[in-house]
Amino acid sequence: MFVNSLNGIIYGSFLALTSLGLSLVFGLGRVVNFAHGVLYALGGYFFIIFLPSLGWGAMVFAPLVVVPLAIAMEWLTIAPIRNRDEIYTLLVTFGLSFMITGAIEYLWGTETTLIKPPVIFQGTVDILGNQFPVYRLFASALSLVVTGLVFVFIQYTPVGLKIRAITDDSEMAEALGINTRWLLTSIFGGAAGFAAFAGALGAPIFSVEPEMGMGIIIDSFLAVILGGLGHLPGTAVGAFIVALAKSIGGGYIAEWAIAVLFLVVAAIMVLRPRGVFGRGRIA
Amino acid sequence: MAASPEVENLTPEASRARSREVATRVLLAGSALLVLAVPFLGASPFFITLLTEALIFGIWAMSLDLLVGYTGLVSFGHAASFGFATYAAGIFAMNISADFFLSTIVAILAAAAVAFLTGLVVTRLSGIAFAILTLCICQVLFQISVVWRSFTGGLDGLIGVPLPTLFGREVEPGEELYLLTAATLIVCYLLLRRVVESPFGKTLLAIRANEDRAAAIGIDVRRHKLVILVISWMTGGVAGTLFVFLKAGANPMSLYWIESGNILAITILGGIGTLFGPIIGAIGFIFIRDQVTTMYRAWQFSFGLAFVLAVLFMPSGIAGIAERIWRRLWPARS
Repeated sequence: MFVNSLNGIIYGSFLALTSLGLSLVFGLGRVVNFAHGVLYALGGYFFIIFLPSLGWGAMVFAPLVVVPLAIAMEWLTIAPIRNRDEIYTLLVTFGLSFMITGAIEYLWGTETTLIKPPVIFQGTVDILGNQFPVYRLFASALSLVVTGLVFVFIQYTPVGLKIRAITDDSEMAEALGINTRWLLTSIFGGAAGFAAFAGALGAPIFSVEPEMGMGIIIDSFLAVILGGLGHLPGTAVGAFIVALAKSIGGGYIAEWAIAVLFLVVAAIMVLRPRGVFGRGRIA
Repeated sequence: MAASPEVENLTPEASRARSREVATRVLLAGSALLVLAVPFLGASPFFITLLTEALIFGIWAMSLDLLVGYTGLVSFGHAASFGFATYAAGIFAMNISADFFLSTIVAILAAAAVAFLTGLVVTRLSGIAFAILTLCICQVLFQISVVWRSFTGGLDGLIGVPLPTLFGREVEPGEELYLLTAATLIVCYLLLRRVVESPFGKTLLAIRANEDRAAAIGIDVRRHKLVILVISWMTGGVAGTLFVFLKAGANPMSLYWIESGNILAITILGGIGTLFGPIIGAIGFIFIRDQVTTMYRAWQFSFGLAFVLAVLFMPSGIAGIAERIWRRLWPARS
């Protein structure tokens, strides 16, 4: 039970990082980015590709490769449909996630790769009588720090102020002279970078395989809806709720827990469409 | 298109439109005959089985077209209609009776019941919220099918569903099952054609065009959405029943959200709002996937690319392009 909760918290800190980007992009541009998960997967793949030559610097380098890819993706496929119904962003990014998963399988095969954590983090620590890998704790702490930095950025910088303005009322923000178009592209890139970083950081824990992005995107959606689409603190809390619900119980009880979780999320969408905290928005 | 009224003195435009209408009917009747004639043209058993699967997907895609194309509701959980029916029909056939009509009726009623219950909730929403909510509901059903092992067989699914019987006689796999499927497809197409051409169907188009305005002129939007959702699920249920007999089993992966995405892509690529297009899309999908996956590893990439290009540049799909060519052959103005 204790180990399961701890694992839940660790998964939750990764999920927070990916859901945050999803929530941010939705809040900013009303873009439902289904391809967010495969950007996470690309992060993991570029990480294992760069690992032999760059060592652990690959963890920084992998996101740096994914960001321009994501920006190109936004430019080519999402920007042209900005004037169409929002649902088209969902359709296009769903197709993109198919493409990228297919490309990953084509280029790098369907095998699952598990990386050993770096030497200094290879031991285990004793927590209340349970042996726990150090790397998990380190990675979880690091992704929490990054999540925290994103919050600080959004809350306390001039650019963050613009982002919040657009999320509140994009037409009004545009009327005040904020370049929505440019900000959306860069935030899309930034969110992709964080997803890719999560993928790289998680490689020694969750392993790297082509379908990894498809798995995390659904969990991220759940987290985002629980917390309220576009509401960042809610999103982070939602991520931990989802992760804990999935990890606690173990085995078949957990499977039931997931069924219940989907049911809860469905109920929230109908009864509290602005999320548990009433601060996001869905329609 | 509604049948033209019986007026003797037709304008040249109306007469040409009428001749196009007649030509369209001839084309449809011809393709129906062709579909029924396939087993007698010396097709291989493998081809027949593949085409059976394609036509089943065609029925399923048509059912999704009712929501996406005619009502503007993009369902991301349409695997639920199909997958749920595979279990309902499969369990019924294994335990009570493998009679085709009885199994189909059971599956249709089960699908209708679930559609009605979920519809009470999902019809409150539209757009993205509808898409995500339907995805969630489909995942609930998927999880249940995985967990409730004693009833559904867990991850293995149902194994050993018997062959269907028709009027007390067992339907042979292969050609007979194919003919049954083809006949069912044609019946479904004709029935759904009636639905979309009825005043009810036209009202759905009004809802698709603008939900708020439709409500403002007095249309009960939620009730219309609920009814079409139930009809759509019932049709999906027919497809699921045929599928469980074709595969002699049911699998939880039929309920997985990726399957919902596949059928959505098939429907949109085929051409939404045409009923006919999704069938073409399904046949294309099943055959290309089969031919291609063995020798061409980039299939998934290409499928995704085709879908992205379709959404960006030809939202009316294959049927849209075909219709444009067809209209050029039978121009309304000369």
